[in-house]
Amino acid sequence: MNSMDDFLGLIRDGLGLSVTADDADRALNEISGWDSVYLLWLLTAIEKETGHTISLPELLEASSLKELYVAAAGT
Amino acid sequence: MPAFPATSGTSNGDHPDQEILALHRAGQLISQYPRVGHLVADLPGPELFKAGQLLARLAPDEILRQHPTVPAVTVAITGHGTLSALVPVLTAELARHGMLLRPHVADFDSYVFDLSDPGSALYAAEADLVLCVLDPMMVFDEVPVPWRPTDVERVLGEKLNLIGQLAARFEAASRGTLVLNTIPLLHRHTAQLVDHQSRARLGAVWREANARLLGVADQHAGAVVIDLDPILAEGVRASDPRMSIYAKAHLSQDLLAGYAREVGNLARHLAGRTKKCLALDLDDTVWGGVLGEVGMEGIEVAESYRGEAFRAFQRVVKQIGSQGVLLAAVSKNDVEPVRKALTDQPSMTLHENDFVQVIANWRPKHENLAELAEDLNVGIDSFVFADDSPYEGGLVRRQLPDVTVIQLDNEPALHVSKLLRDGWFDVRELTATDRTRASKYRDELVRQDFLHTFDSLDDYLHELNIRVRLAVAGEQDIPRVSQLTLRTNQFNLTTRRLQQADVRALADDPAWWVLAIHASDRFGENGLVGVVLARRDGGAVHLDNFVLSCRVFSRGIEHACLASVLRHARDTGADAVFGSYRPTAKNSAVKHFYPRYGFVPVADDDTTTTTFRHDLVDIIASPEYVHLTESFQRSPS
Repeated sequence: MNSMDDFLGLIRDGLGLSVTADDADRALNEISGWDSVYLLWLLTAIEKETGHTISLPELLEASSLKELYVAAAGT
Repeated sequence: MPAFPATSGTSNGDHPDQEILALHRAGQLISQYPRVGHLVADLPGPELFKAGQLLARLAPDEILRQHPTVPAVTVAITGHGTLSALVPVLTAELARHGMLLRPHVADFDSYVFDLSDPGSALYAAEADLVLCVLDPMMVFDEVPVPWRPTDVERVLGEKLNLIGQLAARFEAASRGTLVLNTIPLLHRHTAQLVDHQSRARLGAVWREANARLLGVADQHAGAVVIDLDPILAEGVRASDPRMSIYAKAHLSQDLLAGYAREVGNLARHLAGRTKKCLALDLDDTVWGGVLGEVGMEGIEVAESYRGEAFRAFQRVVKQIGSQGVLLAAVSKNDVEPVRKALTDQPSMTLHENDFVQVIANWRPKHENLAELAEDLNVGIDSFVFADDSPYEGGLVRRQLPDVTVIQLDNEPALHVSKLLRDGWFDVRELTATDRTRASKYRDELVRQDFLHTFDSLDDYLHELNIRVRLAVAGEQDIPRVSQLTLRTNQFNLTTRRLQQADVRALADDPAWWVLAIHASDRFGENGLVGVVLARRDGGAVHLDNFVLSCRVFSRGIEHACLASVLRHARDTGADAVFGSYRPTAKNSAVKHFYPRYGFVPVADDDTTTTTFRHDLVDIIASPEYVHLTESFQRSPS
């Protein structure tokens, strides 16, 4: 996962949600079909892919896909 | 999973997870839903979970609109922690069995309210299965700090009493099945006690509580308890501390996946799709070596490294066969040496008599399996086939996609775990019929040979000396009556599946008759082979369902019983009898059952069910070759 595009692709193919770059700054609760439980899956999926440990509290506190990406990528 | 043979797979067939993803991207998962089951059937854990995420996004109602024959199972999920992660894995597990999940996820930590109030949303969902997922934090959230084993014992006692009450309430308020589970004991709890004596005490009280939990199923007919210990013993982590603390998801994703697999098998059984027959290859599956090359003395069945592996497998196969699963051998061999090996090889655990049929010839195995299904009169989708050859397994998979193929390989020590990994033959409980099923089916094959010696079917039926007893079902008949409604797909007029509690409720209702059909003939007892469910409503009698085991139909039993019910209705003052036929993928053989015996169709608004009426003026006589005794008297209870 090297970019925001990769991250959106992961959500599209992993969670089946049709998100685009336009959704990056949108509040999570405005994204159709979003459920906070997906964060648990994201954590596991990204940790498995990158080998890095992610902070779940940071993911839980993120309010948009962009913030999620920043928390997940550790950038 | 061994690789799928290149000779029998398509390019996508090699990567079913990629095909699922392609269908998702193309927006075709719903239109292709019937194929999805085959695609996800053998996916390993992570890929299956991923497929489940995509499938869980689909609208169940839309899938049913496009594929009305897909069996839908409503599952309500409640418990102590965050459980939404169960939905994708359960969606995938049900899809593996060709079924569709309709989930109802209860509010967080609402199980006590959900189950104690018959007016709750959980009861309103009218779920077939209600999962009440128990986890260790429901205990440790309530122990004080500092704590001793006696504190845990007290909280466990309170929880067990509560769960017992909830199970009783559920049994009274719902016809569904309540699924509970044992509660894992975590290292991060035992290790908080620094002395071994207290740790041992904690282990003891914890396991006593789990033993009590497992006993809930004995006390409440509507409850099933899934033991999580065997899943954990396979090396699955029970809990992830981050998920537990931050998200209140107290059981790990992997444990929930193992749990969902058990629930999937239970749901398949409750939907009447239990596997009935285990067909086995012989060379390098049941014994080591190729019989045609090494002879009876050369095959490995015991007392060598590999021989012991095959012996272990044979012992498990025999064990499975003793519980109502029909065993068949399907081997590319000459038949005589196979027979001889299965009867005369002294170290062989399995014997020819353990098999309902031993098929040894040089024809393609899928043809043999299809014929066997016909001879046994069971659906091909009730077969599980195990073979060490990827070629044979792949060919059967391709030619008969409804057969479940267990692909073994050249490591016989792993045959047992591959056979048992999925609970293909899981049932709620065994009945007396299960223990003798194989011999009854074998008798049936002898009957068919006997039939071939007669010029006409009538001559044969006269010689068969068929005796039928049609009588109000007693308490001892209830498990088998329920099982018949669950297992029977062909001669099942409305395919209304009944749990034991449902049967008991009908048997206790004075407006209903639950009539059990017992049969025997010159070859022996057939046992309880059918059931008629009838409801009296003023001058009308409604036949809610008529079910007959596939072993015995087309020999006049159904005809004699229907005539008897019609006569009884007339003699007790009824002026009409109504019968219904609700078509399924499997029961077209009985579409004309009622018209054949003098019923006429009634105009009906319901397009799925056809209703027929008999005016009781001209009742067909019983066939003279059936000796019928009848009793419509209820035994005093």
